[in-house]
Amino acid sequence: MADVKTSLAQFEEISSNPQRLLQNYLDADEKVIACFPIYTPQPLVLAAGMVPMGIWGGQCNAHMAGKYAPIFTCSLLRSCLEFGMTGAYKGVSAAIMPIICDTFRGMNSAWRAGVKDIRPITFIYPQNRKDPGARDFLIEELKTVRSALEEISENQITNEALQEAIELCNQRNAAMRTFCETANEHLDLVKPVDRHHVMKAATFLRPEETIERVSALTEALRAEPVCRWTGKKVILTGITCEPDEILGYFADNKVAVVGDDLAQESRQYRSDYPAAASGMERLALHWFAVHGCSVAHDDNNTVRGRMLAQLAKEQAADCVVLCMMRFCEIEEYDQPSVIKEVTRAGLMSFSIDIDQSTTESGQALTKIQTFAEN
Amino acid sequence: MSEPTEVKKTKRPLPQSRILLNALVDSIYQDAWDAESKGEPVGWSTSIFPQELCATFGVPVLYPENNAAGVAARHDSPRFIATSEGELGYSNDICSYARLSIGMAHKMAHDPAYEAPDVQRMPRPTFLLCATNSCFELLKWYECLSRELDIPIFMQDCLFNYTDAKPDKHWIAYGRSQIEHNIGRMEEFFGKRFDWDKFLEIQKISIENARLFDECVMMNDRNPSPLNGFDLFNYMAPMVVARGRRETTAVLQQLKCEIQEHIDNGTTTFGSSPQEYRVDWEGIACWPNLGFNLKTMKKYGVNCVTNGYVGAWSLHYTPGNLDEMAEQYMLSSTNVVNTTTMMGKRSDVANHFQCDGMFCHINRSCKFMTYHMTCGREIVEDKCGIPVVFFDGDQADPTIFNEAQFETRLQSLVDVMKANKEEQ
Repeated sequence: MADVKTSLAQFEEISSNPQRLLQNYLDADEKVIACFPIYTPQPLVLAAGMVPMGIWGGQCNAHMAGKYAPIFTCSLLRSCLEFGMTGAYKGVSAAIMPIICDTFRGMNSAWRAGVKDIRPITFIYPQNRKDPGARDFLIEELKTVRSALEEISENQITNEALQEAIELCNQRNAAMRTFCETANEHLDLVKPVDRHHVMKAATFLRPEETIERVSALTEALRAEPVCRWTGKKVILTGITCEPDEILGYFADNKVAVVGDDLAQESRQYRSDYPAAASGMERLALHWFAVHGCSVAHDDNNTVRGRMLAQLAKEQAADCVVLCMMRFCEIEEYDQPSVIKEVTRAGLMSFSIDIDQSTTESGQALTKIQTFAEN
Repeated sequence: MSEPTEVKKTKRPLPQSRILLNALVDSIYQDAWDAESKGEPVGWSTSIFPQELCATFGVPVLYPENNAAGVAARHDSPRFIATSEGELGYSNDICSYARLSIGMAHKMAHDPAYEAPDVQRMPRPTFLLCATNSCFELLKWYECLSRELDIPIFMQDCLFNYTDAKPDKHWIAYGRSQIEHNIGRMEEFFGKRFDWDKFLEIQKISIENARLFDECVMMNDRNPSPLNGFDLFNYMAPMVVARGRRETTAVLQQLKCEIQEHIDNGTTTFGSSPQEYRVDWEGIACWPNLGFNLKTMKKYGVNCVTNGYVGAWSLHYTPGNLDEMAEQYMLSSTNVVNTTTMMGKRSDVANHFQCDGMFCHINRSCKFMTYHMTCGREIVEDKCGIPVVFFDGDQADPTIFNEAQFETRLQSLVDVMKANKEEQ
């Protein structure tokens, strides 16, 4: 029990203090590359001998970002810009920015105007994923990211190094998935907020460290008696489910999180880099293996809702909770369809607002309480 | 004392170019209805999809963005928006064109008592054409239409150019691949062979029309300007819905003659008010508030002599060259290039048109275009030395716009422009 508690406390420490971890990396003369959400080609960073760290904004009342980012744009990217402009990412060598929505189109300009000391490495994912030219396009596009990283690291990225990094990331993904499965057997020990800290910390840690720490936690959990959870169970979908207070409301109302489709959490780890002749091809093919995600167009346009219903049934969940990032239009367009498919599958659903620009979350509390009482 | 009598304002007769334009737009809608009645394919398309493809197949296509603008300008948008937000559960944060169009599609498909708008009635489509050059939201919007109507999407992914350079070779190869692949898919879907000779002819007409449209836009650089800037919002319609048609050539040739006539006679469609200030209007029109905007601007002697948005359909490539065509569709929209490129260009235009200021529509529906303004303001101020003023509004949702704020912001722009003129 002590092992589990200690381990979870460590994950909380890492998840809540990425700046401290960044400073540790910098103190050790490591070069750090910030990775914007979502699907940044982290193996390229690793193969260049650098450290990839996810950036996910944070709760803040932005006072600088408003100069470039309109108030009605995604609060996550607005807070990333705020942190960039106010020096929170100082020391980072560059920031990889995939253009996956309109706010990223804007952020490309806003970052260049407002954060002069951190170079953006921008690239774009093809949305016409069934077009025969999309794969070759993406490989070439990723080569531009590779060149930029080689220039910054002063290391050549070999195919061998890239393949090793990809294997490492796939192992990390597997470790995360195993943790999620195991945690569901111990919902008394792994509260929603604990689960979140583990998932989020993995976006900051080196993959090898994630594998070591998460595997140790999983083993510690396996040594504990299986919990027969009598409360309600939910699946979370959206970009993030933060701050911690919101996840605390679930626990306070005896609601467990037994699965997620959050961009900050399982979307990162649920699909591996497929096998292919070269590392660059593997990176590209990963994009074509993404399904049920708001940033990747799919001809099968009900896939996300049905995927969530399937996940909920597998995990015996009662409900899918849509965590709606404030002003994230790509999630907003999916919202009615997801609700429709989930309802069609006989499950409950409700939406809560996620807003990094305010600490007010009373609306989420009321909705969670209402769900728990019914 | 005599009884007060009601003074009826006589409407000015429409110029011949507008009569031709209206007839053209009506015929395009009629073509779509004729096809629908025969059970033939009818498309709905984003506004900057390669229209050359369906024009070659002879398959009618209508444009929900253009339609939404018309519906909103006639103050008929709220009922469709209410359907999207209420019955269907869409957030009021998403684009108002999308809310309007999805609401309309839903009513059309599922409500036997559906009442179409009075004009520009859209038949139910059998397929969708989606190009991502204007924004990423278009793709999400068309995914919703595809779900709502259970019809396929033909996509032309026009990549956002985040660099300051022209698109790289691999970008163009992807664009070309999509054109070719879409032609193949359409041949199968329409059950028709693609006529490459006709395609070449339509490309030539499209390019001729783009050249004519550019000429008309540039003729407004005279002082006083022969057109009020909002006229161009009307004349961009044929470029959106019928770039590849000879009738569009006729509209634009007539418009060009009329502009020349104004220049020769020293007249203008701005009316009798003096054009004291020349401004660059940035952003899409506030369609539900167009009349108020124009009236208020006239009151202060402000003419928007140019705007960036209307140029989005000006595509220039060598007929028969698919690489160039693919590249043009990746460069056309204001929203497919980065702010440095876009606002650099707009600064050059503002200088050429001798603008005294820039008036920017912070359009609640068009987030990326708003970024251009917030991130590009310094570029314009540096390159042109003119004031840049923002006002809040929306392209189709009338609940966002505030008349008092619009006028106050315009007054502040005028104050600075006046002070600048006095200093000169």
